[in-house]
Amino acid sequence: MGAIGASEISAAICGWTERIAAAAEESSERLAVIGLISHGDLLAQRLVAGLKARGIDALYGAIDISLYRDDADMRAEKLPLRSSYLPFSTDGLHVILVDDVLYTGRTIRAALNALFEYGRPARVELQTLADRGGREVPICADYTCFHIEPEDGREVRVRLVETDGEDKIEF
Amino acid sequence: MKPRKDLITIGSLSDEEINTILDSATAMKDIFTKSVKKVPALKGKSVLTLFYEPSTRTRSSFEVAAHRLSADVTTFTVGTSSVVKGESVHDTIDTLMSMKMDYIIVRHKNSGIPDVIARHCKAAVINAGDGAHAHPSQAFLDAFTIREKYGTVAGKRVVIIGDILHSRVARSTSTILQRLGAQVAYMGPGPLVPLQAHTGIPRFTDWDAVFDWKPDIIYLLRVQNERIDTPFFPAGDYHQAFGVTEERLKIIDDLDLGIMHPGPVNRGVELCDAAMEYRNCLVCNQVENGIAARMSILYHLTPQTQNND
Amino acid sequence: MTETIIRNATWAIDGKKYDLALSTCEGGKHPQLDGITLTGVERCEPAGGISVPAGAQVIDAGGKLLLPALFDMHAKVEIAGRSKRESVNRTGQAATNGGVWAMLVMPTRGFCFDSAPNLDSFRDAVNQRSSAEMYAAGCITQGMGGEQQAPYNTLAARGVRILSDAEHVPANLLTLHRVMKYVAELDMVLAIRGDVPELTRNTCMHPGATSYRLGLHGTPACAEEIGIETLLRLAADAGARIHIQTVSTAEGAEIIRRAKAAGQRVTAEVALHHLLFTHEDVGNYDTNYKTLPPLRERSDCEALIAAVKDGTIDCIVSDHTPCIPFAKKQDFITAPQGMAVLDHYLPALYTHLVKPGLLTWAELVRACSTAPCGIVQPVDEYDEPRVAPLMLFDPAARSTVRAENLACGTANSPFIGTELCGSVNLPLQ
Repeated sequence: MGAIGASEISAAICGWTERIAAAAEESSERLAVIGLISHGDLLAQRLVAGLKARGIDALYGAIDISLYRDDADMRAEKLPLRSSYLPFSTDGLHVILVDDVLYTGRTIRAALNALFEYGRPARVELQTLADRGGREVPICADYTCFHIEPEDGREVRVRLVETDGEDKIEF
Repeated sequence: MKPRKDLITIGSLSDEEINTILDSATAMKDIFTKSVKKVPALKGKSVLTLFYEPSTRTRSSFEVAAHRLSADVTTFTVGTSSVVKGESVHDTIDTLMSMKMDYIIVRHKNSGIPDVIARHCKAAVINAGDGAHAHPSQAFLDAFTIREKYGTVAGKRVVIIGDILHSRVARSTSTILQRLGAQVAYMGPGPLVPLQAHTGIPRFTDWDAVFDWKPDIIYLLRVQNERIDTPFFPAGDYHQAFGVTEERLKIIDDLDLGIMHPGPVNRGVELCDAAMEYRNCLVCNQVENGIAARMSILYHLTPQTQNND
Repeated sequence: MTETIIRNATWAIDGKKYDLALSTCEGGKHPQLDGITLTGVERCEPAGGISVPAGAQVIDAGGKLLLPALFDMHAKVEIAGRSKRESVNRTGQAATNGGVWAMLVMPTRGFCFDSAPNLDSFRDAVNQRSSAEMYAAGCITQGMGGEQQAPYNTLAARGVRILSDAEHVPANLLTLHRVMKYVAELDMVLAIRGDVPELTRNTCMHPGATSYRLGLHGTPACAEEIGIETLLRLAADAGARIHIQTVSTAEGAEIIRRAKAAGQRVTAEVALHHLLFTHEDVGNYDTNYKTLPPLRERSDCEALIAAVKDGTIDCIVSDHTPCIPFAKKQDFITAPQGMAVLDHYLPALYTHLVKPGLLTWAELVRACSTAPCGIVQPVDEYDEPRVAPLMLFDPAARSTVRAENLACGTANSPFIGTELCGSVNLPLQ
């Protein structure tokens, strides 16, 4: 079993923030960092806070994509829906979609559908903390901190301080 | 929430299920504020409304909820003819199941019919009101409305007023409110308020007792003369005796109480005109929240129709 | 023909042990115990009193109870969708399994005893197919419609002694009053239950916490009680002998107690389920517990048992009503009333009334065998009175009721899946 610890994650998010900051300076569009509930929204919060520390003002949003999943009726347990937090129109924005782990890509497909119901962004990028391969739809991330190859079938679990008490990726 | 096929009564739900459906209703309501008021959650699913009793409001509320979840909606009009012919509910359901329905929303004058249908078919069955038994979607929208207005249901004191004996709304709404930690009392004409021994709920027969009990919310039931075979109400004086008159509205205003009603309101019977304009009148919120609550219910049920049968 | 000796049988009523020598031929004089004729028995002596002749067959009845078989004066035989013959055959077998040698059959739609041909075809079916005796209760009104009176003289000439429209009660008091005058004239018995239809229309269970929870309209106890009072007054005026069917409330029993004390010629019955179950057993719309009158409170059960003990209520009946599975699968309001209990009737009586000490064997024999037989007064084809055969009952046996083992053809028994004590050996040989 492999693991990535708090210090590595912290450094990675730092580098991630730098990268977005650099891109933002070259871009003319307003930046919005939108995280996928749950975990993606927490990462987005950290990124927005990091950008603010660097003097860059980015919009923060979070979306629950449960209602957009194509596998909703096959899931054994249905969790309570969370309210999406998107208090702005995405028209003309440069949206960075943030998720914790990129796997089959179905979640991202659903997220894109959800996102476009809030307006017409100028550009959408996908950035994730980890990518574990195994795609089922033609989607790839524009930026990923960690490429993980778990032993076959192993689940990749991300734990974050805000909800789980520690920063850790287990696989 | 573990997969659950049907929603027949509030009593059959766990606390977790009640809270999950209520929590999700909030997220469902957010959808109304978007430019696209629709999500693909139930895309490709078929929803059938099967109403043996006329009800435009509940049925359209369910239909709008299903549409907003992208389901296909079929309305089955139950002609009085097939009922007269003695067609059993089982036969009707067999016919309908051959149409591959995933969700059936049923209302019937006989208590217990949705339960029979639920056991007979693989579709998810939602009770939209059966006799004097239960009306769980109404209960959810009521609890949701109170939670939205007051932040929580726990600790609230609610008096339900009217024909309690024949009311499925009174049964379901009092059950959900109690489960969420509220206190409930009943008030109405004596013969129409069941004994406390049968319900476990305090029973009053006049407004003075209601105000003495220090409620937070007054919930008026609709006077439904059409459902009662022999007259139960003394002629003419319902409004004066049990309704929210202008004088009582002043007291309600002073005490800052909320007013609720399942609709449609008989103006001048349960509520005076002014009560509809009252700042704490939640009747319109109830209607709007009805759609969100029903979307949440549809979303959280799991039909067993997926395996080609 | 070889002699048969039964040894060490315990006479249920006094608990003493006896040896019996069975008769080798029909007829003859039979000994009696506690005033009950020991049908088919030649000699009866205290245990050890009969020496076994050479070649005789010996049945060791140690540990088993000897008692007269039961007479059930309220049962229905019609099974929806089955032929008359099959209905009679199955119900007869169920009765024999449950320790019942004869029953009074209530009219139903398919067994409508309102004409000579209907009675004759029933009698044929019984003669050919039934292991138990069946006597028909003639209709009060044509087609049980509550209006036109049935041909009483024709029915009486066919041996009908009891008139009943089963659960139906003519709503019109004038009709009822006239019927009672005929009943008095023809020396018949009117078997009817107390009801005020205006008060019980659209109701299906006892009013209380359960009916409130299920949203079902309650059947007020007073409807039955007013009905009983009314029947007693009409009968007293017309001089008619009446039998009150399926009393379900404590006050109903009390009214009958007063009438008997005042000297009125009235008898009454209670269904087994009204002694055992309450409205709470309906649970979540369990249609097997839908009965007419409905199951009531525990205090009613207790009062009814007391009324059986003191003789206010003369008989316990099965109120056996076969309902096909489809009918009982419907919603509670639409589903028909009734339970089918004949298959395990005596084991149920024993397990739930005698074993817990609520009734003695003497009281059970009186309420389930001698009293109903005395009311119906069955006769054979030569007009000779018929008496109950004897049976052996093994109280130590235990069995779990399984739907697939029931002879009655339907599964609407609340005892399915439960364990009952006792097994019936009927007929004796």
